[in-house]
Amino acid sequence: MNAWANIPIAEHLFLFSPMIALTATMLAVVATPLIAGRSTRAVAGVASIGIVVAFILAIRVARAVAQGGVSGFSPQPAAGMLLVDNLSAGFQVVLIVFLAAVTYLWWIGSAARERNAPEFFILLLGSALGMALMTSSANLLMIVIAIETASLPSYAIVGFDKRDRLGAEASLKYMIFGAVCAAIMLYGASLLYGLVGSLAVTDVAQYAVLQLADGDNLLLTSAALLCFLCGIAFKISAVPFHFWCPDAFEGAKIEVTTWLSVVSKAAGLILLTRIVLIFSSAVDSPLAISIVQPLAWTIAIMAAITCTYGNFAAYQQTSVKRLLAYSSIAHAGYMLMAAAVFIHPAATGHSAGLSAMLVYVVIYLFMNLGAFGVTALVSWDAGTDSIDAFTGLARRAPWLAVPMIICLMSLVGMPPLAGFLGKWWILIALGNLDTTLGWFLVITAVFNTLFSLYYYVRIVVQMSLRDDGRPQPSVSFGGLALVNICAVALLALFIFAQPLKSAADRFSTKLNPLSATLDHPRTALLPPADR
Amino acid sequence: MTITLSHYLFVSAILFASGLFTMMTKRNAIGILIGVELVLNSAGVNVVAFDRYLGPGRLDGQLTALFVIVLAAAEAALAVGICINVYKNLSTVDVDTAARLQG
Repeated sequence: MNAWANIPIAEHLFLFSPMIALTATMLAVVATPLIAGRSTRAVAGVASIGIVVAFILAIRVARAVAQGGVSGFSPQPAAGMLLVDNLSAGFQVVLIVFLAAVTYLWWIGSAARERNAPEFFILLLGSALGMALMTSSANLLMIVIAIETASLPSYAIVGFDKRDRLGAEASLKYMIFGAVCAAIMLYGASLLYGLVGSLAVTDVAQYAVLQLADGDNLLLTSAALLCFLCGIAFKISAVPFHFWCPDAFEGAKIEVTTWLSVVSKAAGLILLTRIVLIFSSAVDSPLAISIVQPLAWTIAIMAAITCTYGNFAAYQQTSVKRLLAYSSIAHAGYMLMAAAVFIHPAATGHSAGLSAMLVYVVIYLFMNLGAFGVTALVSWDAGTDSIDAFTGLARRAPWLAVPMIICLMSLVGMPPLAGFLGKWWILIALGNLDTTLGWFLVITAVFNTLFSLYYYVRIVVQMSLRDDGRPQPSVSFGGLALVNICAVALLALFIFAQPLKSAADRFSTKLNPLSATLDHPRTALLPPADR
Repeated sequence: MTITLSHYLFVSAILFASGLFTMMTKRNAIGILIGVELVLNSAGVNVVAFDRYLGPGRLDGQLTALFVIVLAAAEAALAVGICINVYKNLSTVDVDTAARLQG
């Protein structure tokens, strides 16, 4: 009774209003066919209104949180399951913008042939809700539920077209792999609950750091943590949890691939970031700092392998969609490198690595949206996403070829494009560590960038230097506008990068209200007799 | 004989091990899903047992167990739907024969 008295319900509901708006939109999309029949136009209209409302609310929440006018949930230990801070509020805005872009891509590409628009939007909005929850969770159970909320609709949406054999196969592989990872993750969470006696990530972090220093339960704690991290690595598709990624991305419709390739990975990365931040704020004694070194190396090696694997596997792909899927694995590797920076004990603050990663996520969003957008437009016209469909595109459709070249060169990291800055700031953050780990990652990233040049340039060569006299593609104006906006954004973000960078800096310093609650050390609750 | 925490953990460890074994050896999608269910249930047994033995008045674990049940049900419903869809398209739910996507 008293515990509820000092929780301002209305204020907290406001913090979650974008998620509530997404949920309400899902319900409205279900209800629309009852009123307006199964009209694709009506459903898309209702969904668009919902997305716009959610966007406005997300902007208001982000602004309120950035100004510090509202607090997160952290002061009340009992209510520490969800929290809203700069990181999650900012990601929500990005997520909803991307949701709108994917909806638009669907509208120009698939809407005319779509008979199941309500179901499509329920699944799309459901996975968006799950991703928003992923970035706001600070509790093991909540993390599991959020990941499942994001994953379950994704499995279904990959195999959305019932007559498509590739889609069916892709969704089967995605679902099997996801179910296995989720089960192992939940088992890890149950063990952690038994060891720590609490599901809050802060308590788990505190306990784990104590155990890593000198604990009797070191082995069990590490095993449980590793099991738990399986589920997050699955979302990021870090090697060795990447097997689903190329198959699911190739089998799905291309707007779904666009959706999954960016925000699903970004949400996983933000979730990992939050866990890493909570862990590193639990480490304050000099004794424990030496313990974090292995953790940083684990992430660093995972990042290096992920990035190298993605680039090598992309080498010989003939399907552009699949090539971009492997490229997205490689880019997840670059972003994981930034995560290795801010857990590293030599890092002075979290800010350098974290702000580099946030900038990279935003830039990556535009690059991938542009590249997938052009691929979508070309493959809708040619009926295939093989690289042959791009032959002579520079002559046939310069308004498609030029943005594609810009996006691909930005994915390589060439100046004067935003992708260069994204990589540059990650490299600077790594170099500033001035440790073996930092330089190891710098060398890996530079070699990978050089290597990735080959397969991106292959598409450019196919578009500009080869020609087999194909006819001009017929492409809608809206699609052209979308990809060209992305290309212009990449140029503009390079020239006017400072606001983005300083916003990311601000976000990464005013972060993590949870660190304030870490002043009550816990001991192992598992009684000695039962170990 | 009194039942201690270890007994429950032993049962759940056996469930987890058989689930993991099933997931790794079965080639049939339904078989793999049965393995997943076993692992999920072992997690459920774990959290309820921890709740009971860690001290009175705990609810976290029991709530978690409820959510585990809901998750397992949702996942099974979706998984069976996807399997039926795959069976209609490929006439099999064997994960090795569903290998058109490669490279």
